Amino acid sequence: MDALYHLMDHALPFAWAGDLFMKRALLAVVLVAPVCAAMGVMVVNFRMAFFSDAISHSAFTGVALGVLLGINPLYTLIAFGIVVGLAIISVRRLSSLSVDTVIGVFFSFAVALGIVIISARKGLTRDLQSYLYGDVLTVGDGEILAMGLLFLAAIVFLSLWFNALILIGINERLAKAQGIRVKALEYGYALLLALVVTLSIRVIGLLLVTAMLVVPAAAGRNLAGSVRGMFWASVGIGLASGVIGLIGSYYWDSATGATIILVACGFFILSQAVSVVRR
Amino acid sequence: MDEPKKPPAMIEVHDLFVEMGRVSILSGVNAKIRQGEITALIGPNGAGKTTLLLAILGMIPYRGRIDIRSGNGRPHIGYVPQHLEFDRGMPVTVMDFLCLPRQRPPVWLWHGRKMREKAQANLEWVEASHLAGRRLGNLSGGEIQRVLLAHALIDDPAIILLDEPASAVDRSGEELFMNLIKRLRRERNLTLLMVSHDISMVTRLASQVICLNRVVLSEGKTADVLTEQTLSTCFGSDKGLLLHDHQWEGDTELSCAYDPDHPDRPDHPEGK
Repeated sequence: MDALYHLMDHALPFAWAGDLFMKRALLAVVLVAPVCAAMGVMVVNFRMAFFSDAISHSAFTGVALGVLLGINPLYTLIAFGIVVGLAIISVRRLSSLSVDTVIGVFFSFAVALGIVIISARKGLTRDLQSYLYGDVLTVGDGEILAMGLLFLAAIVFLSLWFNALILIGINERLAKAQGIRVKALEYGYALLLALVVTLSIRVIGLLLVTAMLVVPAAAGRNLAGSVRGMFWASVGIGLASGVIGLIGSYYWDSATGATIILVACGFFILSQAVSVVRR
Repeated sequence: MDEPKKPPAMIEVHDLFVEMGRVSILSGVNAKIRQGEITALIGPNGAGKTTLLLAILGMIPYRGRIDIRSGNGRPHIGYVPQHLEFDRGMPVTVMDFLCLPRQRPPVWLWHGRKMREKAQANLEWVEASHLAGRRLGNLSGGEIQRVLLAHALIDDPAIILLDEPASAVDRSGEELFMNLIKRLRRERNLTLLMVSHDISMVTRLASQVICLNRVVLSEGKTADVLTEQTLSTCFGSDKGLLLHDHQWEGDTELSCAYDPDHPDRPDHPEGK
Protein backbone atom coordinates (compact mmCIF):
# COMPACT_ATOMS: atom_id res chain seq x y z
CA MET A 1 0.00 0.00 0.00
CA ASP A 2 2.91 2.35 0.77
CA ALA A 3 4.06 2.23 -2.86
CA LEU A 4 0.56 3.19 -3.95
CA TYR A 5 0.45 6.13 -1.54
CA HIS A 6 3.89 7.21 -2.78
CA LEU A 7 2.62 7.07 -6.35
CA MET A 8 -0.43 9.14 -5.37
CA ASP A 9 1.90 11.78 -3.86
CA HIS A 10 3.40 12.29 -7.34
CA ALA A 11 0.17 11.96 -9.32
CA LEU A 12 -1.89 14.23 -7.06
CA PRO A 13 0.30 17.15 -5.94
CA PHE A 14 -2.66 18.96 -4.31
CA ALA A 15 -3.10 20.25 -0.76
CA TRP A 16 -6.21 18.11 -0.19
CA ALA A 17 -4.37 14.94 -1.19
CA GLY A 18 -1.40 15.57 1.10
CA ASP A 19 -2.55 13.66 4.19
CA LEU A 20 -2.55 9.88 4.32
CA PHE A 21 -6.17 9.76 5.51
CA MET A 22 -7.24 11.69 2.40
CA LYS A 23 -5.37 9.31 0.12
CA ARG A 24 -7.11 6.38 1.79
CA ALA A 25 -10.44 8.19 1.54
CA LEU A 26 -9.88 8.86 -2.17
CA LEU A 27 -9.07 5.19 -2.80
CA ALA A 28 -12.18 4.12 -0.88
CA VAL A 29 -14.38 6.54 -2.84
CA VAL A 30 -12.90 5.56 -6.22
CA LEU A 31 -13.51 1.86 -5.43
CA VAL A 32 -16.97 2.18 -3.88
CA ALA A 33 -18.72 4.93 -5.87
CA PRO A 34 -18.59 3.29 -9.35
CA VAL A 35 -19.65 -0.09 -7.94
CA CYS A 36 -22.61 1.52 -6.15
CA ALA A 37 -23.60 3.32 -9.35
CA ALA A 38 -23.29 0.18 -11.51
CA MET A 39 -25.35 -1.87 -9.05
CA GLY A 40 -27.72 1.09 -8.91
CA VAL A 41 -28.62 0.55 -12.60
CA MET A 42 -30.43 -2.63 -11.51
CA VAL A 43 -31.70 -1.08 -8.25
CA VAL A 44 -33.41 1.71 -10.23
CA ASN A 45 -34.67 -0.51 -13.06
CA PHE A 46 -35.91 -3.22 -10.67
CA ARG A 47 -37.31 -0.64 -8.19
CA MET A 48 -35.23 -2.07 -5.35
CA ALA A 49 -34.36 1.14 -3.47
CA PHE A 50 -36.41 0.04 -0.46
CA PHE A 51 -34.56 -3.31 -0.44
CA SER A 52 -31.24 -1.49 -0.28
CA ASP A 53 -32.61 0.73 2.51
CA ALA A 54 -33.58 -2.32 4.56
CA ILE A 55 -30.06 -3.76 4.24
CA SER A 56 -28.38 -0.47 5.13
CA HIS A 57 -30.63 0.03 8.18
CA SER A 58 -29.89 -3.51 9.34
CA ALA A 59 -26.48 -2.02 10.16
CA PHE A 60 -28.03 -0.72 13.41
CA THR A 61 -28.30 -4.31 14.58
CA GLY A 62 -25.12 -5.46 12.83
CA VAL A 63 -22.96 -2.90 14.62
CA ALA A 64 -24.72 -3.38 17.96
CA LEU A 65 -24.26 -7.16 17.75
CA GLY A 66 -20.56 -6.75 16.96
CA VAL A 67 -19.91 -4.51 19.95
CA LEU A 68 -22.07 -6.71 22.18
CA LEU A 69 -20.21 -9.88 21.16
CA GLY A 70 -16.78 -8.25 21.15
CA ILE A 71 -16.28 -8.79 17.39
CA ASN A 72 -15.20 -6.12 14.87
CA PRO A 73 -18.57 -4.47 14.06
CA LEU A 74 -17.68 -4.41 10.35
CA TYR A 75 -17.88 -8.24 10.22
CA THR A 76 -21.22 -8.46 12.02
CA LEU A 77 -22.53 -5.55 9.96
CA ILE A 78 -21.73 -7.37 6.69
CA ALA A 79 -22.97 -10.75 7.96
CA PHE A 80 -26.26 -9.35 9.27
CA GLY A 81 -26.80 -7.34 6.06
CA ILE A 82 -26.37 -10.50 3.96
CA VAL A 83 -28.76 -12.46 6.22
CA VAL A 84 -31.41 -9.72 5.94
CA GLY A 85 -30.97 -9.46 2.13
CA LEU A 86 -31.27 -13.20 1.49
CA ALA A 87 -34.14 -13.54 4.00
CA ILE A 88 -36.13 -10.85 2.18
CA ILE A 89 -35.68 -12.61 -1.17
CA SER A 90 -36.63 -16.05 0.18
CA VAL A 91 -39.69 -14.82 2.12
CA ARG A 92 -40.85 -12.83 -0.92
CA ARG A 93 -40.62 -16.01 -3.02
CA LEU A 94 -42.54 -18.09 -0.48
CA SER A 95 -45.17 -15.52 0.42
CA SER A 96 -48.04 -13.96 -1.49
CA LEU A 97 -47.33 -10.60 0.18
CA SER A 98 -46.10 -7.73 -1.97
CA VAL A 99 -42.37 -7.00 -2.09
CA ASP A 100 -42.60 -3.71 -0.21
CA THR A 101 -44.62 -5.32 2.58
CA VAL A 102 -42.03 -8.08 3.05
CA ILE A 103 -39.19 -5.54 2.99
CA GLY A 104 -41.12 -3.30 5.41
CA VAL A 105 -41.37 -6.15 7.93
CA PHE A 106 -37.64 -6.94 7.76
CA PHE A 107 -36.73 -3.24 7.79
CA SER A 108 -38.74 -2.73 10.98
CA PHE A 109 -37.32 -5.87 12.61
CA ALA A 110 -33.71 -4.96 11.80
CA VAL A 111 -34.02 -1.37 13.06
CA ALA A 112 -36.08 -2.28 16.15
CA LEU A 113 -33.67 -5.02 17.24
CA GLY A 114 -30.74 -2.64 16.82
CA ILE A 115 -32.42 0.10 18.84
CA VAL A 116 -33.34 -2.35 21.63
CA ILE A 117 -29.71 -3.53 21.93
CA ILE A 118 -28.29 0.00 21.70
CA SER A 119 -30.74 1.43 24.25
CA ALA A 120 -30.01 -1.40 26.69
CA ARG A 121 -26.23 -0.82 26.40
CA LYS A 122 -25.80 2.95 26.62
CA GLY A 123 -22.12 3.00 25.59
CA LEU A 124 -22.95 1.74 22.08
CA THR A 125 -24.27 5.07 20.80
CA ARG A 126 -20.74 6.39 20.30
CA ASP A 127 -19.75 3.37 18.18
CA LEU A 128 -22.78 3.85 16.01
CA GLN A 129 -21.99 7.46 15.04
CA SER A 130 -19.41 6.60 12.37
CA TYR A 131 -21.80 4.11 10.78
CA LEU A 132 -24.78 6.48 10.81
CA TYR A 133 -23.05 9.27 8.89
CA GLY A 134 -20.08 7.37 7.45
CA ASP A 135 -16.47 8.14 8.28
CA VAL A 136 -14.38 7.71 5.18
CA LEU A 137 -11.50 9.64 6.74
CA THR A 138 -10.86 6.81 9.24
CA VAL A 139 -10.94 3.98 6.70
CA GLY A 140 -7.98 1.61 7.18
CA ASP A 141 -5.86 -0.34 4.69
CA GLY A 142 -7.74 -3.57 5.49
CA GLU A 143 -11.05 -1.98 4.55
CA ILE A 144 -9.57 -0.57 1.33
CA LEU A 145 -8.38 -4.07 0.45
CA ALA A 146 -11.88 -5.42 1.10
CA MET A 147 -13.35 -2.67 -1.11
CA GLY A 148 -10.83 -3.57 -3.84
CA LEU A 149 -11.90 -7.21 -3.71
CA LEU A 150 -15.55 -6.15 -3.84
CA PHE A 151 -14.74 -3.98 -6.87
CA LEU A 152 -13.26 -7.00 -8.67
CA ALA A 153 -16.16 -9.27 -7.61
CA ALA A 154 -18.66 -6.72 -8.94
CA ILE A 155 -16.85 -6.50 -12.30
CA VAL A 156 -16.87 -10.31 -12.63
CA PHE A 157 -20.54 -10.56 -11.60
CA LEU A 158 -21.67 -7.74 -13.89
CA SER A 159 -19.66 -9.18 -16.78
CA LEU A 160 -21.19 -12.63 -16.47
CA TRP A 161 -24.79 -11.88 -15.52
CA PHE A 162 -25.62 -8.27 -16.35
CA ASN A 163 -27.46 -9.19 -19.59
CA ALA A 164 -29.53 -11.86 -17.88
CA LEU A 165 -30.40 -9.52 -14.99
CA ILE A 166 -31.58 -6.79 -17.35
CA LEU A 167 -33.75 -9.32 -19.22
CA ILE A 168 -35.24 -10.48 -15.89
CA GLY A 169 -35.92 -6.80 -15.14
CA ILE A 170 -37.75 -6.40 -18.45
CA ASN A 171 -39.87 -9.55 -18.10
CA GLU A 172 -39.23 -12.49 -15.78
CA ARG A 173 -41.28 -14.98 -17.78
CA LEU A 174 -39.45 -14.15 -21.00
CA ALA A 175 -36.13 -14.59 -19.18
CA LYS A 176 -37.24 -17.99 -17.86
CA ALA A 177 -38.30 -19.02 -21.37
CA GLN A 178 -34.75 -18.23 -22.50
CA GLY A 179 -33.42 -20.71 -19.93
CA ILE A 180 -32.16 -18.05 -17.52
CA ARG A 181 -32.02 -19.30 -13.91
CA VAL A 182 -34.00 -16.45 -12.43
CA LYS A 183 -34.06 -17.66 -8.82
CA ALA A 184 -30.31 -18.30 -8.57
CA LEU A 185 -29.54 -14.93 -10.15
CA GLU A 186 -31.90 -13.11 -7.79
CA TYR A 187 -30.10 -14.60 -4.79
CA GLY A 188 -26.70 -13.86 -6.32
CA TYR A 189 -27.65 -10.25 -6.99
CA ALA A 190 -29.11 -9.80 -3.49
CA LEU A 191 -25.91 -11.20 -1.96
CA LEU A 192 -23.66 -8.86 -3.94
CA LEU A 193 -25.94 -5.89 -3.26
CA ALA A 194 -25.85 -6.65 0.48
CA LEU A 195 -22.04 -6.70 0.35
CA VAL A 196 -21.90 -3.44 -1.63
CA VAL A 197 -24.32 -1.68 0.71
CA THR A 198 -22.67 -2.83 3.94
CA LEU A 199 -19.12 -2.06 2.79
CA SER A 200 -20.20 1.35 1.46
CA ILE A 201 -21.67 2.30 4.85
CA ARG A 202 -18.18 3.22 6.11
CA VAL A 203 -17.86 5.71 3.25
CA ILE A 204 -21.35 7.17 2.95
CA GLY A 205 -23.15 6.26 6.19
CA LEU A 206 -26.16 4.00 6.63
CA LEU A 207 -28.63 6.86 6.37
CA LEU A 208 -27.51 7.84 2.87
CA VAL A 209 -25.95 4.75 1.29
CA THR A 210 -29.09 3.96 -0.75
CA ALA A 211 -28.77 7.41 -2.31
CA MET A 212 -25.33 6.41 -3.61
CA LEU A 213 -26.99 3.55 -5.47
CA VAL A 214 -30.10 5.35 -6.61
CA VAL A 215 -29.17 8.98 -7.40
CA PRO A 216 -26.34 8.44 -9.96
CA ALA A 217 -28.33 5.65 -11.65
CA ALA A 218 -31.47 7.82 -11.78
CA ALA A 219 -29.44 10.65 -13.33
CA GLY A 220 -27.91 8.16 -15.79
CA ARG A 221 -31.35 6.89 -16.73
CA ASN A 222 -32.50 10.48 -17.41
CA LEU A 223 -29.62 11.02 -19.80
CA ALA A 224 -29.29 7.65 -21.56
CA GLY A 225 -31.02 6.19 -24.59
CA SER A 226 -29.68 2.66 -24.19
CA VAL A 227 -28.60 0.20 -21.49
CA ARG A 228 -24.92 0.85 -22.23
CA GLY A 229 -25.51 4.61 -22.06
CA MET A 230 -27.27 4.30 -18.70
CA PHE A 231 -24.51 2.11 -17.28
CA TRP A 232 -21.63 4.42 -18.18
CA ALA A 233 -23.49 7.65 -17.39
CA SER A 234 -24.35 6.24 -13.92
CA VAL A 235 -20.79 5.06 -13.26
CA GLY A 236 -19.36 8.40 -14.46
CA ILE A 237 -21.77 10.44 -12.33
CA GLY A 238 -21.16 8.19 -9.29
CA LEU A 239 -17.40 8.53 -9.61
CA ALA A 240 -17.51 12.28 -10.24
CA SER A 241 -19.87 12.79 -7.28
CA GLY A 242 -17.56 10.76 -5.03
CA VAL A 243 -14.37 12.63 -5.95
CA ILE A 244 -15.96 16.12 -6.03
CA GLY A 245 -17.80 15.40 -2.76
CA LEU A 246 -14.61 14.22 -1.04
CA ILE A 247 -12.60 17.28 -2.14
CA GLY A 248 -15.53 19.59 -1.32
CA SER A 249 -15.88 18.13 2.18
CA TYR A 250 -12.14 18.71 2.77
CA TYR A 251 -12.44 22.44 2.02
CA TRP A 252 -15.88 22.97 3.60
CA ASP A 253 -15.07 20.75 6.59
CA SER A 254 -18.38 18.96 6.11
CA ALA A 255 -19.41 15.29 6.42
CA THR A 256 -17.95 13.52 3.38
CA GLY A 257 -20.80 11.05 2.78
CA ALA A 258 -23.47 13.74 2.84
CA THR A 259 -21.38 16.06 0.62
CA ILE A 260 -20.97 13.27 -1.96
CA ILE A 261 -24.74 12.70 -2.00
CA LEU A 262 -25.41 16.45 -2.38
CA VAL A 263 -23.12 16.57 -5.43
CA ALA A 264 -24.88 13.50 -6.87
CA CYS A 265 -28.25 15.22 -6.31
CA GLY A 266 -26.86 18.24 -8.21
CA PHE A 267 -26.07 15.93 -11.15
CA PHE A 268 -29.57 14.47 -10.89
CA ILE A 269 -31.19 17.94 -11.08
CA LEU A 270 -29.10 18.76 -14.16
CA SER A 271 -30.03 15.43 -15.78
CA GLN A 272 -33.71 16.05 -15.04
CA ALA A 273 -33.46 19.46 -16.72
CA VAL A 274 -31.79 17.87 -19.78
CA SER A 275 -34.49 15.19 -19.88
CA VAL A 276 -37.29 17.80 -19.73
CA VAL A 277 -35.67 19.95 -22.46
CA ARG A 278 -35.28 16.86 -24.72
CA ARG A 279 -39.01 16.11 -24.51
CA MET B 1 -58.71 -40.43 -52.98
CA ASP B 2 -56.16 -41.15 -50.22
CA GLU B 3 -55.88 -38.56 -47.48
CA PRO B 4 -52.46 -36.87 -47.39
CA LYS B 5 -50.21 -38.40 -44.75
CA LYS B 6 -50.29 -36.53 -41.44
CA PRO B 7 -47.00 -34.89 -40.44
CA PRO B 8 -45.37 -36.48 -37.38
CA ALA B 9 -45.98 -35.02 -33.94
CA MET B 10 -43.34 -32.50 -32.88
CA ILE B 11 -44.72 -32.25 -29.34
CA GLU B 12 -46.66 -35.04 -27.66
CA VAL B 13 -48.39 -34.38 -24.37
CA HIS B 14 -49.30 -37.46 -22.34
CA ASP B 15 -51.59 -37.44 -19.33
CA LEU B 16 -50.57 -33.97 -18.19
CA PHE B 17 -51.70 -32.74 -14.79
CA VAL B 18 -50.95 -29.25 -13.44
CA GLU B 19 -52.07 -28.05 -10.03
CA MET B 20 -51.61 -24.63 -8.46
CA GLY B 21 -52.01 -25.15 -4.74
CA ARG B 22 -55.17 -27.19 -4.45
CA VAL B 23 -56.64 -25.97 -7.72
CA SER B 24 -56.41 -28.29 -10.68
CA ILE B 25 -55.58 -26.36 -13.87
CA LEU B 26 -55.00 -29.24 -16.28
CA SER B 27 -56.21 -32.75 -15.53
CA GLY B 28 -55.12 -35.47 -17.90
CA VAL B 29 -54.32 -33.53 -21.07
CA ASN B 30 -53.28 -35.58 -24.11
CA ALA B 31 -52.43 -33.72 -27.30
CA LYS B 32 -50.21 -33.78 -30.39
CA ILE B 33 -48.72 -30.73 -32.04
CA ARG B 34 -47.71 -31.70 -35.55
CA GLN B 35 -44.46 -30.72 -37.22
CA GLY B 36 -44.58 -27.81 -39.63
CA GLU B 37 -48.19 -26.98 -38.82
CA ILE B 38 -49.85 -24.04 -37.14
CA THR B 39 -51.90 -25.40 -34.25
CA ALA B 40 -54.34 -23.12 -32.46
CA LEU B 41 -55.11 -23.68 -28.80
CA ILE B 42 -58.58 -22.39 -28.00
CA GLY B 43 -60.76 -22.52 -24.93
CA PRO B 44 -62.59 -20.27 -22.46
CA ASN B 45 -60.84 -18.07 -19.90
CA GLY B 46 -59.21 -20.19 -17.20
CA ALA B 47 -59.14 -23.28 -19.44
CA GLY B 48 -55.40 -23.73 -18.88
CA LYS B 49 -54.15 -22.64 -22.32
CA THR B 50 -51.27 -20.50 -21.06
CA THR B 51 -50.52 -23.13 -18.41
CA LEU B 52 -50.08 -25.73 -21.15
CA LEU B 53 -47.64 -23.43 -22.97
CA LEU B 54 -45.67 -22.86 -19.76
CA ALA B 55 -45.56 -26.62 -19.10
CA ILE B 56 -44.18 -27.23 -22.60
CA LEU B 57 -41.58 -24.53 -21.93
CA GLY B 58 -40.66 -26.35 -18.70
CA MET B 59 -41.44 -23.27 -16.63
CA ILE B 60 -43.94 -24.84 -14.22
CA PRO B 61 -44.04 -28.20 -12.41
CA TYR B 62 -46.38 -30.86 -13.83
CA ARG B 63 -47.18 -34.55 -13.70
CA GLY B 64 -47.29 -36.55 -16.91
CA ARG B 65 -45.00 -36.51 -19.92
CA ILE B 66 -44.19 -34.00 -22.63
CA ASP B 67 -42.12 -35.44 -25.49
CA ILE B 68 -40.50 -33.00 -27.85
CA ARG B 69 -39.16 -34.58 -31.03
CA SER B 70 -35.78 -33.60 -32.24
CA GLY B 71 -33.15 -34.98 -34.57
CA ASN B 72 -30.25 -34.10 -32.30
CA GLY B 73 -31.12 -33.03 -28.79
CA ARG B 74 -34.09 -31.03 -27.56
CA PRO B 75 -34.87 -28.25 -30.04
CA HIS B 76 -34.95 -24.70 -28.77
CA ILE B 77 -38.45 -23.35 -28.30
CA GLY B 78 -39.17 -19.70 -29.05
CA TYR B 79 -41.81 -17.99 -26.94
CA VAL B 80 -43.92 -14.91 -27.69
CA PRO B 81 -45.83 -13.78 -24.56
CA GLN B 82 -49.26 -12.17 -24.63
CA HIS B 83 -48.09 -8.77 -23.40
CA LEU B 84 -44.66 -7.53 -22.57
CA GLU B 85 -45.29 -5.94 -19.20
CA PHE B 86 -42.26 -3.87 -18.41
CA ASP B 87 -41.11 -0.50 -17.15
CA ARG B 88 -41.49 1.61 -20.29
CA GLY B 89 -39.07 4.22 -18.94
CA MET B 90 -36.14 1.76 -19.02
CA PRO B 91 -33.61 2.93 -21.61
CA VAL B 92 -33.49 -0.41 -23.43
CA THR B 93 -33.20 -0.27 -27.21
CA VAL B 94 -34.62 -2.97 -29.47
CA MET B 95 -31.02 -3.99 -30.30
CA ASP B 96 -30.21 -4.26 -26.56
CA PHE B 97 -33.30 -6.40 -26.05
CA LEU B 98 -32.44 -8.79 -28.88
CA CYS B 99 -28.79 -9.13 -27.80
CA LEU B 100 -29.52 -9.65 -24.07
CA PRO B 101 -30.39 -13.36 -24.00
CA ARG B 102 -27.53 -14.85 -25.97
CA GLN B 103 -24.69 -12.32 -26.11
CA ARG B 104 -21.76 -13.35 -23.90
CA PRO B 105 -20.12 -9.94 -23.34
CA PRO B 106 -22.28 -7.66 -21.18
CA VAL B 107 -24.21 -5.09 -23.22
CA TRP B 108 -22.56 -2.34 -21.14
CA LEU B 109 -19.39 -3.12 -23.11
CA TRP B 110 -20.70 -3.58 -26.65
CA HIS B 111 -23.08 -5.49 -28.89
CA GLY B 112 -21.14 -8.41 -30.36
CA ARG B 113 -20.82 -8.21 -34.16
CA LYS B 114 -22.32 -11.66 -34.84
CA MET B 115 -25.15 -11.04 -32.39
CA ARG B 116 -25.85 -7.62 -33.90
CA GLU B 117 -25.98 -9.07 -37.42
CA LYS B 118 -28.25 -11.89 -36.28
CA ALA B 119 -30.56 -9.45 -34.47
CA GLN B 120 -30.66 -7.16 -37.51
CA ALA B 121 -31.47 -10.10 -39.82
CA ASN B 122 -34.32 -11.18 -37.54
CA LEU B 123 -35.65 -7.63 -37.41
CA GLU B 124 -35.61 -7.49 -41.21
CA TRP B 125 -37.47 -10.80 -41.26
CA VAL B 126 -40.27 -9.35 -39.15
CA GLU B 127 -40.23 -6.11 -41.20
CA ALA B 128 -38.91 -4.09 -38.27
CA SER B 129 -35.29 -3.31 -39.20
CA HIS B 130 -36.00 0.41 -38.75
CA LEU B 131 -36.73 -0.20 -35.05
CA ALA B 132 -33.23 -1.42 -34.06
CA GLY B 133 -32.17 1.83 -32.37
CA ARG B 134 -35.57 2.74 -30.93
CA ARG B 135 -36.35 2.43 -27.23
CA LEU B 136 -38.52 -0.56 -26.42
CA GLY B 137 -40.80 1.61 -24.30
CA ASN B 138 -41.60 3.89 -27.25
CA LEU B 139 -42.95 1.14 -29.51
CA SER B 140 -46.61 0.53 -30.35
CA GLY B 141 -48.33 -2.76 -29.45
CA GLY B 142 -47.88 -4.12 -33.00
CA GLU B 143 -44.21 -3.12 -33.12
CA ILE B 144 -43.54 -4.77 -29.76
CA GLN B 145 -45.17 -8.02 -30.92
CA ARG B 146 -42.96 -8.09 -34.03
CA VAL B 147 -39.89 -7.40 -31.89
CA LEU B 148 -40.97 -10.23 -29.57
CA LEU B 149 -41.24 -12.49 -32.60
CA ALA B 150 -37.71 -11.48 -33.66
CA HIS B 151 -36.62 -12.20 -30.06
CA ALA B 152 -38.23 -15.67 -30.20
CA LEU B 153 -36.38 -16.40 -33.45
CA ILE B 154 -32.96 -15.46 -32.07
CA ASP B 155 -31.87 -19.09 -31.47
CA ASP B 156 -33.31 -20.47 -34.73
CA PRO B 157 -35.95 -22.48 -32.87
CA ALA B 158 -37.80 -25.44 -34.35
CA ILE B 159 -40.94 -24.58 -32.41
CA ILE B 160 -42.57 -21.27 -31.53
CA LEU B 161 -45.22 -20.89 -28.85
CA LEU B 162 -47.39 -17.77 -29.14
CA ASP B 163 -49.69 -16.68 -26.31
CA GLU B 164 -52.48 -14.57 -27.80
CA PRO B 165 -49.95 -12.83 -30.01
CA ALA B 166 -52.27 -10.21 -31.49
CA SER B 167 -54.36 -9.27 -28.45
CA ALA B 168 -52.67 -5.88 -28.04
CA VAL B 169 -52.30 -5.15 -31.75
CA ASP B 170 -54.41 -2.87 -33.95
CA ARG B 171 -56.10 -4.16 -37.11
CA SER B 172 -53.31 -3.31 -39.59
CA GLY B 173 -50.70 -4.64 -37.19
CA GLU B 174 -52.67 -7.85 -36.80
CA GLU B 175 -52.79 -8.34 -40.57
CA LEU B 176 -49.01 -7.90 -40.80
CA PHE B 177 -48.46 -10.23 -37.85
CA MET B 178 -50.64 -12.95 -39.38
CA ASN B 179 -48.70 -12.75 -42.64
CA LEU B 180 -45.46 -13.14 -40.68
CA ILE B 181 -46.80 -16.25 -38.95
CA LYS B 182 -47.79 -17.74 -42.30
CA ARG B 183 -44.31 -16.96 -43.69
CA LEU B 184 -42.65 -18.58 -40.68
CA ARG B 185 -44.44 -21.82 -41.35
CA ARG B 186 -43.97 -21.72 -45.10
CA GLU B 187 -40.37 -20.51 -45.39
CA ARG B 188 -38.82 -21.81 -42.18
CA ASN B 189 -41.00 -24.89 -41.75
CA LEU B 190 -41.51 -24.05 -38.08
CA THR B 191 -44.00 -25.76 -35.82
CA LEU B 192 -46.23 -23.13 -34.26
CA LEU B 193 -48.57 -23.48 -31.29
CA MET B 194 -50.73 -20.42 -30.79
CA VAL B 195 -53.17 -19.57 -28.01
CA SER B 196 -55.93 -17.39 -29.44
CA HIS B 197 -59.33 -16.01 -28.52
CA ASP B 198 -59.66 -14.58 -32.00
CA ILE B 199 -61.60 -17.14 -34.03
CA SER B 200 -61.01 -15.26 -37.29
CA MET B 201 -57.27 -15.49 -36.72
CA VAL B 202 -57.62 -19.19 -35.91
CA THR B 203 -59.57 -19.93 -39.07
CA ARG B 204 -57.18 -17.99 -41.25
CA LEU B 205 -53.94 -19.30 -39.80
CA ALA B 206 -54.34 -22.66 -38.13
CA SER B 207 -54.44 -26.01 -39.85
CA GLN B 208 -54.96 -27.83 -36.55
CA VAL B 209 -57.02 -26.81 -33.53
CA ILE B 210 -56.95 -28.09 -29.96
CA CYS B 211 -60.02 -27.18 -27.95
CA LEU B 212 -59.08 -27.15 -24.26
CA ASN B 213 -60.99 -26.74 -21.04
CA ARG B 214 -58.81 -28.39 -18.38
CA VAL B 215 -58.89 -31.47 -20.62
CA VAL B 216 -58.76 -31.68 -24.41
CA LEU B 217 -62.36 -31.57 -25.62
CA SER B 218 -61.55 -31.84 -29.29
CA GLU B 219 -58.43 -32.00 -31.43
CA GLY B 220 -57.90 -32.21 -35.17
CA LYS B 221 -58.14 -30.29 -38.40
CA THR B 222 -59.54 -26.78 -38.06
CA ALA B 223 -62.63 -27.63 -40.12
CA ASP B 224 -63.36 -30.68 -38.00
CA VAL B 225 -62.94 -28.96 -34.63
CA LEU B 226 -64.56 -25.57 -35.21
CA THR B 227 -68.09 -26.87 -35.34
CA GLU B 228 -71.02 -25.36 -33.56
CA GLN B 229 -71.34 -28.40 -31.34
CA THR B 230 -67.68 -28.51 -30.27
CA LEU B 231 -67.54 -24.81 -29.64
CA SER B 232 -70.69 -24.72 -27.57
CA THR B 233 -69.37 -27.68 -25.53
CA CYS B 234 -66.07 -25.91 -25.06
CA PHE B 235 -67.27 -22.38 -24.43
CA GLY B 236 -70.84 -22.85 -23.24
CA SER B 237 -72.26 -19.37 -23.04
CA ASP B 238 -68.76 -17.86 -22.83
CA LYS B 239 -68.37 -14.92 -25.16
CA GLY B 240 -64.61 -14.91 -24.96
CA LEU B 241 -64.23 -15.49 -28.69
CA LEU B 242 -63.68 -12.48 -30.88
CA LEU B 243 -65.18 -11.89 -34.27
CA HIS B 244 -63.76 -9.38 -36.72
CA ASP B 245 -65.38 -8.18 -39.93
CA HIS B 246 -62.48 -9.42 -42.00
CA GLN B 247 -62.86 -13.03 -40.91
CA TRP B 248 -65.18 -13.65 -43.78
CA GLU B 249 -62.33 -13.27 -46.23
CA GLY B 250 -61.29 -16.74 -45.15
CA ASP B 251 -63.29 -19.89 -44.77
CA THR B 252 -66.82 -18.55 -44.49
CA GLU B 253 -68.41 -21.74 -43.26
CA LEU B 254 -65.86 -22.30 -40.52
CA SER B 255 -65.91 -18.81 -39.16
CA CYS B 256 -69.70 -18.86 -38.95
CA ALA B 257 -69.86 -22.09 -37.08
CA TYR B 258 -69.54 -20.81 -33.55
CA ASP B 259 -72.10 -18.04 -33.84
CA PRO B 260 -74.87 -18.90 -36.26
CA ASP B 261 -76.83 -15.76 -35.44
CA HIS B 262 -74.01 -13.31 -35.92
CA PRO B 263 -75.12 -10.52 -38.30
CA ASP B 264 -71.77 -10.69 -40.10
CA ARG B 265 -72.65 -14.11 -41.51
CA PRO B 266 -73.02 -13.87 -45.26
CA ASP B 267 -76.23 -15.83 -45.02
CA HIS B 268 -77.68 -13.73 -42.19
CA PRO B 269 -80.75 -11.75 -43.27
CA GLU B 270 -79.18 -8.51 -42.05
CA GLY B 271 -75.65 -9.54 -42.99
CA LYS B 272 -73.45 -8.70 -45.96
